[in-house]
Amino acid sequence: MKRYFAVLLGILTAIGGFVDIGDLVTNAQVGARFGTSLVGVVALGVVGICVFAEMSGRIAAVSRRATFDLVRERLGPRMGFLNLVGSMLVTLLTFIAEIGGVALALQLVSSLHHLLIVPFVAAAVWLVLWRAKFSSIENVLGLMGLALIGFAVALWQLGPDWGQLVAGVSPAEKPEGEGWATYAYFAVALFGAAMTPYEVFFFSSGGVEERWTSKDIGVMRANVFIGFPLGGLLSVAIAGCAATVFLPAGVAVETLGQVGLPVAVGIGKIGLAVVVLGFFAATFGAACETGLSTGYSLAQYFGFPWGKFVRPKEAAGFHIILLLATVVAAGVLLTGVDPIMVTEISVVFSAIALPLTYFPILVVANDPDYLGEHVNGPVANALGVFYLVVIAVAALAAIPLMAVTSMGQG
Amino acid sequence: MGSLAERNGYDVGLHLLDRQVIGADDRLIGKVDDIELVIDDDGALVPTALLMGLPALLPRFGPRLGGALARAHRLVREAAADQDLPLVVDFDLVEDVSSDVRLSEPGHGLLHRMAHDRAADPRRCRVGDLLGIPVRCPDLPRRSKVLDLRMVGSPDGPGEHRVESLIVGPGRPGALFGYDRRSEPGPLAVAAVVHWLHRHARIVELGEGVEIDHEAGEVRIVAGTSLAPLRG
Repeated sequence: MKRYFAVLLGILTAIGGFVDIGDLVTNAQVGARFGTSLVGVVALGVVGICVFAEMSGRIAAVSRRATFDLVRERLGPRMGFLNLVGSMLVTLLTFIAEIGGVALALQLVSSLHHLLIVPFVAAAVWLVLWRAKFSSIENVLGLMGLALIGFAVALWQLGPDWGQLVAGVSPAEKPEGEGWATYAYFAVALFGAAMTPYEVFFFSSGGVEERWTSKDIGVMRANVFIGFPLGGLLSVAIAGCAATVFLPAGVAVETLGQVGLPVAVGIGKIGLAVVVLGFFAATFGAACETGLSTGYSLAQYFGFPWGKFVRPKEAAGFHIILLLATVVAAGVLLTGVDPIMVTEISVVFSAIALPLTYFPILVVANDPDYLGEHVNGPVANALGVFYLVVIAVAALAAIPLMAVTSMGQG
Repeated sequence: MGSLAERNGYDVGLHLLDRQVIGADDRLIGKVDDIELVIDDDGALVPTALLMGLPALLPRFGPRLGGALARAHRLVREAAADQDLPLVVDFDLVEDVSSDVRLSEPGHGLLHRMAHDRAADPRRCRVGDLLGIPVRCPDLPRRSKVLDLRMVGSPDGPGEHRVESLIVGPGRPGALFGYDRRSEPGPLAVAAVVHWLHRHARIVELGEGVEIDHEAGEVRIVAGTSLAPLRG
């Protein structure tokens, strides 16, 4: 019974922890501009993150190596370092966006300007990273994140024309006013939002921290293959809500308040309160994950002690990095930069940085030296190679599309 | 997980370099940033120590970039005489090599700076100095380099360890990604690309006809020396 409960808890936290600021903002923006015509890309991204996370989770369980150990072992110090710098920058950018997202969520409740809230959020995130237990961070925030189910309820209550929403899923249903370049740009952004690299750094490092063994592979797979797709459905619900409320009115989504507005329309104030709690949990949880990921990547590259499972005194370097990253993130936000814009940039750069970590994981997942009998099977490899191509295309297309469309304005 | 003890030999770059080093107390100590080799009187290369720290890591960033980074690191604390000396772990302390390198002693206070005379000893070199140096051989493409060193023995077993052969060919050390020594590598598409890129790579045994010139930083192989294909 206890074991089933643990599996259920894992799945629920995977659902609640799946959505972060990038998913919230990008899905709402895309829903408002493109209706449901980009839902296919969300599905593509969700299956992609499942493939990627399952491979790295399996490697973590069998060989106890996390992502950046493998990056350095396979790519060598030089390419590995380039990779480290790129991934760290993207993770830090995401960290900034998440802290900004927490502040924006609290602004919705308190009406205080988010800049006033940022220092407190940063301090709270750092305190949690320093003092809180790994499992409590994951469980409490993951379960609170389930409040975002409010979007699915709101979509149902809004009573859209379901036939039209489903028919709109085809890319041919792209609104006529939007060009194909803009469409492709938002496709890359959505893909990056679903497949953010930090999710895998965190997932595999967490596996090593929780001392998974090959016996835990089944539970890990249940979390990934059930939790992530259900979390992805929340992303789709957010897009569906925006498509129902904003698309007919021709309103663009530019604030976090607007992301939640369809819920207020659909199920009223209580519903709005619930999803704002969901915003808070999702962004705060992701802030913890991205913050930890900066420390994980650096420590794993250089090999010094890391993790929440050793006492902070024994992983002093790791905790200093977490503190510095939090200070930098707060500092950047206090310049007055718009957290929504940081989010938009972070999801696109996520797509660009993805091949750097994906490729070494795919190679190691086939290496019997690391995995013995648990190497990739034919299905994992077929999907693995397919996504290698998709990820490479998205990464190469991202910057030209960003320039051509002026970040989706055109 | 197959421990290296179960095999007959291993590739230094692939199986040992850049691996996580863990003490007997489960503490993470560092990465294998480089490996020290002693050049025997008969020219054989024998591993003697794992080297750690930035003075071991930075030179591996390549001849130019690595040199510049190492000089910059020297400048950070110019007054320290040991600023450019790496930390040393004796090879005898290595107990097990799998996906990490386990030592037989606890990590606390284990690492010491290399002594100055040891660092200056011309009979010692580093794996990082050998990887990537040019290989001159009429039977190989002109851009050939040392891609990896193959050892006999296992670092965690008794008996002798020494470099038995060199993997040479055009390309970059590490770019074989381990596709050189397995019979059933996957995914097929990636393996095919890597094999094609390294179609000229060969294994050459140290000994007659192979000379490693440590001063000039190159390997000379006499025409007609037996060159075995990878995955032979």
